[in-house]
Formats: sequence, C-alpha cells, structure tokens
Amino acid sequence: MTESSRREFIIQTAGALTAMALLPSIPAIARQQGDPLGVALVGAGRQGRSILGELGKLEGFRVMGVCDSDESRLSSGLRRVQGAKGFADHRKMLDELPEASAIFIATPTHLHRQVAVDALQAGRHVYCEAPLSNTVEDCRAMVQAAQAAPKLVFASGLEGRSNPIYKLARSFYRSDAVRDAVAIEAQQFQKTSWRFPASNPARENEVNWRLDPAVSLGLPGEEGVHQFDVALWFTDRLPASATGGGSIRLWDDGRNMADTTFSTLRFDNGLYMHHQASLANSYGGRTETLRGSNATIKLAWTAAWMFKEADAPTQGWEVYANRQQFHNEEGITLIADATKLASQGKLKEGVGLPNPPLYYALADFLASIRAGEPAVCTAPDGLRATVVAIHAAKAVMTGEEQVIDPSLYEV
Amino acid sequence: MPLLLATAALGTRVELVLDEPESPGLRAVGEEVIAEVHHWHERLSYFQPESLLSFINRSAAHRAVALDEDVWSLLSLCREAHRASAGAFDPTLAGLLGRATTHAGVPASRHDQAADAGWAALVELDDDRRTIRFRERGVRLDLGAVAKGFALDRASDILRRHGVGGALLHAGTSSVVAIGAAPRTIGVRSAGGLVTVALREGCLSVSAPRGKVVDGTAHIRHRGGPALADTALVIGPLGGGAEADAWSTALIVLGTRPMAMSDALRSAVHDGRRWTSHRIQLSPAPEAA
Repeated sequence: MTESSRREFIIQTAGALTAMALLPSIPAIARQQGDPLGVALVGAGRQGRSILGELGKLEGFRVMGVCDSDESRLSSGLRRVQGAKGFADHRKMLDELPEASAIFIATPTHLHRQVAVDALQAGRHVYCEAPLSNTVEDCRAMVQAAQAAPKLVFASGLEGRSNPIYKLARSFYRSDAVRDAVAIEAQQFQKTSWRFPASNPARENEVNWRLDPAVSLGLPGEEGVHQFDVALWFTDRLPASATGGGSIRLWDDGRNMADTTFSTLRFDNGLYMHHQASLANSYGGRTETLRGSNATIKLAWTAAWMFKEADAPTQGWEVYANRQQFHNEEGITLIADATKLASQGKLKEGVGLPNPPLYYALADFLASIRAGEPAVCTAPDGLRATVVAIHAAKAVMTGEEQVIDPSLYEV
Repeated sequence: MPLLLATAALGTRVELVLDEPESPGLRAVGEEVIAEVHHWHERLSYFQPESLLSFINRSAAHRAVALDEDVWSLLSLCREAHRASAGAFDPTLAGLLGRATTHAGVPASRHDQAADAGWAALVELDDDRRTIRFRERGVRLDLGAVAKGFALDRASDILRRHGVGGALLHAGTSSVVAIGAAPRTIGVRSAGGLVTVALREGCLSVSAPRGKVVDGTAHIRHRGGPALADTALVIGPLGGGAEADAWSTALIVLGTRPMAMSDALRSAVHDGRRWTSHRIQLSPAPEAA
C-alpha cells in the first residue's frame, strides 16, 4: 500500500467509525412518496415559527393549520407557510382539520398537557417541545395518554437525540475513546431580559410566563432540560438528587425569577453534572462538556470536539482528523458524514451542521410516522428529562437539595 | 437617556437606539427587534451552512424549494431589481465568481456565458407554487447586498407594531432605518470626503465597490465592465430597505440613475469627482475628529 493510499484508507476508516452513529440518514421523510402528510402547529411564538421555518425545508407533508390565541403571533406564523388555516383554539383546529394527522406543540410549557392529551385522544401524532410540562403530574398524564395510543408517535422535542453530531459524539463517549466518566459540565449563557413585548397590556403576564415562578421552571428547566437530557442519554444514568441556587444579577425589574443559576445533579453511580446558566452574560453560549479518563468531549449543538489525554491510546485516524485550537488545547473536530466527505477530500467542509438541530428532530419525527416506528425521543424519554428539570428548578428556587424518587421516572 | 441595544449579526454590528427612556417593556420590544435581526441572519446568511439560504443553494438545482411569504417577497424583489437594473444587481454573481474554481464540471466559457445572463438565465421563480429552482448545478445566491435592508425592514415592522415613536436602527452603518418625526443626520463617506444627509421616517442604504474580492481584485461586475461609481446612496420609505439596498448596489455598477428606478427611491451617486443627486440634499461635513 502506498503512503497516499494508506492515508486515504485511514481517513476513510475514520470516516466509517464516525459515521456509524449517523444512521438512519436524516431526512428519510424527504424521500417518501405518496400523499403528503397533513400537519399543524399549536403555538406560533418564536419556537413555533422556527418549527415552521425548518418544516419548509422538508418534503412529503403539508402544514394545514396554525393555532395561537394571540392574533399577532398567529399572523406571523401564517406568513411562514402557504395555504394554512389559522385558529385561536386548538380544539377547534383538531375538529376542523381531521386530515392534519400530526400536531407540533410549541405553546408555553404549562399549556402542553391539555393540547397533547387532546391531540392524542383525537388520534393525532404529537411532537411536543421540552420540557414536557412544569409538573410531574402533567408529564405523567401526557405519557399515559401516549401509551394509551400505541399506534401514534409521540416525540419529545429534546433535540440532542436527533442531532447528527451529538449521535456521533455519543458513539465516541460510549466507546473506549473516552472511557471512565469523570464529570459533566453544561452552561447556557445568553444576554437577554427573557421578557417579551405584549401586543396589548392585558396579555403582559401571559406573554411573560417564563418569569412567573408559578408556571415556569426558569433557566434550569426551560433551557437546561435539553442539556440534562444529553447527560441522561450519553450516560444511560438517572440523577438521584439535585441541588442548586440562583439570584438576580442584572435584570432587577421586579421579577421573582433568578436570572443567573447553578445546579448540580448527582447520578446514581456517583457522577456529578454541574449546570450554570445566566441571562446577564453571553460568553461561551450553550455547551456541554463530558470528561472521561481518556478524553473530553465538548458539545456546542452545531459543532463538537474531542480532546484526548496525552496518555490515551492512539487509534491511527486522529493523525488525519481536522483540528481546532482552543488556547493551549487542540480539539479533534467531530464531523458528521465523515466517510463521504473524506472520500471527496472535503473533510474540512463538514465542520458544523448543515441544518439547525431542530431540523433533524422534526425530520426524525416525520420519518417515524412514515415508518410506523416509535419516536427517536419518546414520551418516557421526555418524562425523565423533565422530572430532572423540575427538581433542578425546585432546588434553584428553594436552595435545598431535592431527592428524586426513582419511581417518578417511570409510568 | 436613550436605550441602546447592539448585537453581532449579518456580518456586522447591528445597533438599535430607542429614543424613550429605558423601561422593561421598551427593552422587551428592543430585544424582539434584535431577535428578528438574528432570525434573518440565520435564514439569509451565505456563510452559515445551516441557514435557509445555504439550504436553497445546496438544493435548488436538484428540486424546487418552497418559500414562505417573506422570503418569496425578498426573492421577487431581487428578480425585479435585476430586471429593472438591466442585470446590474445580481445575487448570483458571487456564486458565479466562486464556482469558476470550485465547480470543475462547467467549462470556463460557460461561466462567461452564464455571467452575462446571471439571475435571468440561472434562477427560476414559480409564481404559482412560490418556489425557487436553479437551472444549473453550482449556482449560489448571495443576498448580502439586500439581506441587511430586508432584516431591518422586518425589524422596523416590530417597532411600528409596538408604537415606538422614535428609533434609529442600523446594520454596519451601510443600512439604516430612522423612525420618528425628528430628522437624523447621517454621515456618508465617499472618495470626495464626508457629506451628511437628513433621514426621517425612512431607510437609507450606502454601497461602495468593495466586498467581493477574487484574486485580490474588487469585483462588482456588470457584463465585464468596471464599477462606474465609488459611492452610491439610496433613501426610501420605511419598509423599503431591501429595495434601497438592491439599488444602491446597482448604482455603483451603473454610475447613473436609470429611468426604471422607482420614484419612491431618492438617490445620490459619487463618481470619484462629484456627487450627482436625485432629490437628496447633501451637505458638506467637517471630518470627524
């Protein structure tokens, strides 16, 4: 074997390794033939409009309805799709659009339960944003409704599980490349007041539900749930307790919700996950770092890197991998679809995701419906992550340790 | 004291100045405006692989891509500006220049041929189905010339919807929106020095022949000819930012205002020696310290 063909072989072998977690290839739905699947959205706020935007890239379905009780948001949502009918009430939409067989739920968290249960009882597939709800009782009711309709797909919108880069990183995490789990850290930093303008003063509280401790899980719940789920999914472990705290560091505008929080999850095997979040500073954004005794994986939703320990065994392919410098550390870029790109000599072009993480979650949901298979992220998956988020939120609000009853993870 | 919000988006610094004193409600409106700018950055970025535009550039040669109402209106505007400017404004140009080296399957002579026709030959907008399709592989749209103006248009809709009486929003100082009765003085630098214009309840776009650089040479190209102006500015009504952006780019190439340009747009062009103005009052300004 010549040096160049050996090099090519190693690169392609590395590609095969890195690609193994990417199956099934993403927009399977785009390749489906036959009648388009009718779908509808409930909740046309910022996240709902993002859902409509990403759906616009997929084929094989038709958005038939958009529902929101706020006229301005409904109008913005309807601009994102062609030929959809607008509704102010989700029950009316379910009644009038029987051909909309899948419902995307992007309402405020505390309103998920009613919409999800109604949709399932009306025989519709459901994609529900995470956290599933703000109470364990609601979550369990949703899971029970999903289990009572086994022919319907219920997807929990925890996007990490559909993210090609995260799937790839998980395959490394669960291989010898990372080995013994040491610690997990996650952060969510953004500079924003988390306050939304209301179209009229009467809707002020309704629009700013995130700032209301009675219905909102705050930063660890509303944002951290996705990151907690990454830890649950990568480790296949469940936390036994949560501690935490928080305070108002910047947005002292009369709110009762901390704008800066920390929380720590203690897993049943002694592993700890530390989560930090703030609305007062944006440095570093949203990342998760999983440390092992052989390597550390850093995840940033549209990109990921692996940092090997100096004494970790070399597997050969690292020599040709794409690398990025972080101060004194050099990270190996984890590239989705590396086999194909390596064969085309375009490995560097594969850095980053070609679509936002939401796109892959939606594509997976639609593909599950077409295939008649369970969702990539099921209702029980959503329940477990939400139970963790609820306890972390309570720990932050009370400052007291929250022991998690293991029975809450099951229905 | 006015409220200032800023962010990095659309390849530049975006700033919003709200004339009223800070309050939680006003800040919430400002943050919604900034979020809207980010939304369009994420959808229209030429460089971010996950943007809608990158998706169109990857997919439209293989299949028709359905567009929402907003993106459809922007691409329809591009088609109209390309036609009315006789090809001087052409979002396919960057892709054509780039693919000369990246898309080996197309012979060089074909590139010259395609470059002459540009958008008209390469891009198909289906008005009935509201879709876009490329007629060749390797075509790429770069909406950099209009994305800022379009994002500011959508963002200023939010300001008006929430009844904000006075605001200044700009992206990299080349696209500006002013809301409110009080005129704002905007400085514009050309090869001839600094001048000022007054902007009130409207949008302003400034272009110069910089940005697309191939082999070290600045390219704003029109059928092989050089750029005929060094600075062009266009003032339009509120909501007309994308159109103003398209025309300020076209005027750099054309050097003079064409008959086909809408009378709702005022313009001024500096050809390296002097300004030629159409309904814009330019005032000399002392150099900033």
